[in-house]
Amino acid sequence: MSRDASASLRYPPYIHDWKTSAKAAWICSITLAPVVAWSIVLYGRSAALVWLVSVASALASEAVASGISRRWTLGDGSAALTGLLIATAMPPGVPLYVPALSAAFAVLVVKAAFGGLGANWMNPALAGIAFAYANWPVAMREYVLPRIVAGVDGVSAATPLTFAKGLAGGLDVRIMDSLRGASYPLSSFDSAVTGFLNDSVFSRLGARLPDGYIDLAIGLKPGALGESALIAVLVGSLVLVGLRLIKPVAPIAMVSVFAILARVLGTGLPGEAFLNGDALFSLGGGSVLLVAFYMAADPVSSPVRRRSALVYGAAIGALCFVFRRWGAYSEGAAYSVLVMNVVTPFIEKSASGMTAARARRRSS
Amino acid sequence: MIKARGFKGGGVSVDHRVPFKSGPIENAFLPMNAVVVLRETSLSVEPFPVVSVGQEVMEGQLLARSAGPGSTNVHSPIPGIVRRIRATVTPEGYESNSILVSLEGSFSVLGKKPERYLWKSLNKADIAHIVQEKGIVRVSSGEPLSEILSERSSRPGFVLVVNALEMDPYRRTEEELLSIRPEDVIDGCAIAARVARPARIVLAVDARLSPEIEGRLKGIIEASELEMSIMSFSRRHPQDMPRQIAESLEIVDQSALFILEPSTLVALHDAVVANKPHIEQYVYVGGGAIKSPAILKARIGAPIGDLIEECGGLVGRPDAIVLGGPFRGRAVADLDASVTRTTQAVLALTSEETKPAPERPCVRCGDCVAVCPEGLDPYSMLKLLRAGRGEAAIAAGLDRCTSCGACAYACRSRIPLVRDFRAARASEALR
Repeated sequence: MSRDASASLRYPPYIHDWKTSAKAAWICSITLAPVVAWSIVLYGRSAALVWLVSVASALASEAVASGISRRWTLGDGSAALTGLLIATAMPPGVPLYVPALSAAFAVLVVKAAFGGLGANWMNPALAGIAFAYANWPVAMREYVLPRIVAGVDGVSAATPLTFAKGLAGGLDVRIMDSLRGASYPLSSFDSAVTGFLNDSVFSRLGARLPDGYIDLAIGLKPGALGESALIAVLVGSLVLVGLRLIKPVAPIAMVSVFAILARVLGTGLPGEAFLNGDALFSLGGGSVLLVAFYMAADPVSSPVRRRSALVYGAAIGALCFVFRRWGAYSEGAAYSVLVMNVVTPFIEKSASGMTAARARRRSS
Repeated sequence: MIKARGFKGGGVSVDHRVPFKSGPIENAFLPMNAVVVLRETSLSVEPFPVVSVGQEVMEGQLLARSAGPGSTNVHSPIPGIVRRIRATVTPEGYESNSILVSLEGSFSVLGKKPERYLWKSLNKADIAHIVQEKGIVRVSSGEPLSEILSERSSRPGFVLVVNALEMDPYRRTEEELLSIRPEDVIDGCAIAARVARPARIVLAVDARLSPEIEGRLKGIIEASELEMSIMSFSRRHPQDMPRQIAESLEIVDQSALFILEPSTLVALHDAVVANKPHIEQYVYVGGGAIKSPAILKARIGAPIGDLIEECGGLVGRPDAIVLGGPFRGRAVADLDASVTRTTQAVLALTSEETKPAPERPCVRCGDCVAVCPEGLDPYSMLKLLRAGRGEAAIAAGLDRCTSCGACAYACRSRIPLVRDFRAARASEALR
């Protein structure tokens, strides 16, 4: 390794930016630490095991791939990150072979078989997640309530998104109120904070925040491990953007298009109407933000140039909305990114074709 | 403050400046042995040696005579005895004869108080003759100043740019010369202007040049009656390169610029006013592995190890010893490399500065595209090259690459883009 490094120094430039692809992957992993920690607080040992098994399986698979290709690649951090990202989509208490096999599939089949880091044509973590949903659809959708809300471990419950889909509600009732009406669990923390916010801020503005959004933001509801700490995901995303480790164009385009569509058209939930969708619920109720900043922004499988990245992100947002509104399952963010991963070469090709055409026009 | 000028797309921020010992520039000790490289560029004709081994030479005595395009007169930097004339390989990788002179005898020219000629009475031909005779070289490029001056004077209507910009965290020689020898820089500029006759003159300075120095320069310019304006440029690599300067001045054709740096102007001034040949060079010695970074006035031919020694020596193990700037310089294998008329800096860089990492596959992060000051797409060009499609890479703009190093500086996977692009341009040029 040291020989490689000194060999590169025989060529200018002799100073470099602090960023390396390995550092980027490790920092990305570190920003997920609060999410990991909070999910363990919420779900205990079962969550910890899922994280552990997923990362261990990804690292072991990378070691196997390294052995075959005779290139030691564990240090580049990408395998550990893939393992972490796969675990974010797992429900706590999922049978441990699910994360283990998904991570192995992601690293060995989707990444290593196509030539390793930089050559994979879709995001390995997303492919692993899709693999899990396809193989174990039931186990992947068995969620439990955090013990802080339920008082005991392992009380199963539907996620707010799934639960809301099955509700019948009037047009004049907001989703969160419908959920309350159907006695969907609510933490006492949420009612306290929401009550305080309503009394001190929103009442003066003539508005009211329904109960339940605080639970969404801090993960006091059934959900996948990565959805348990929306605020931590947001902070992590800000860190990544601030350090310029990811380019914000694609994720911001994705989130904006998704939120606008959800607001304008509604995601088909009770209480939503044209121009009166609940964008906050749509954004907070699933893994959209995590997928946007940690997976759609993955450089390897997204377009290089800014304009293409904008198209790519916007298309993901739109697809995500389509899946959410008309899809069989409430969770479509991962699939939308996968679809666009496959389309990326096409977007880049047509974009470069357009640039070339413009250049020709200008020169003629 | 007036808004600083700058080129538009790309570039690397070089806001951070490493401190060094400023103030009066000290003369480096005379080297015991000076190895004088005869050719300053790979394209030049080699000057013809006019001394023989064993011969005693005086300081400033002619060692080799200009023998054709690109070659200059070469003078002895020290008094002594010619020990050896033989072929050597320069750090740039081309071959050149070099003459080794061992120090002996006494100072004859430069030890005395300098004479001062009133050059204003000299005409264009006289000055051109002195510049040619004294072997003055453009410090930034190694071209003979006499050649480029006469070439410029035959094509009027250009802008003379005095380029005091140094776009990296280390080198500060040109800026220091503006504050230490401002009269001589402006005087050198007036001499160059008399020969080349520019349409106007721009003094390009760093945006954060102290107002005090700027005020002094303004006063000197006013007294000189030159048509010269001071313009400040923002700190962004590669702002000091011709196309970026032209773009910042809103000049479309970069060949309408004639760029000279203060160190060249000082050498020109010393040649015309004090009858000095180009045997000294201002060298910045620094980098994290140098104990006390400073600028030294060194003799041509001095081993760089001597200069490092004079700056307190090395602290720790340097990861790379570089001649010239960190973006576009050349690494040398040992400390025996000698100072030439184009050695602007000797950098001993620690691994904290070079930040080495193993080369990894491209992760398509797009940083190279974002920093390219020429608006090229290094990512795609590399992909084409690695697929063996050199012609397509040239069509994608590879021939417009200036080897500024911004892409490889930013590359997260430490891909040696500059090396690959240079090699590809060289091999495509052969076709």
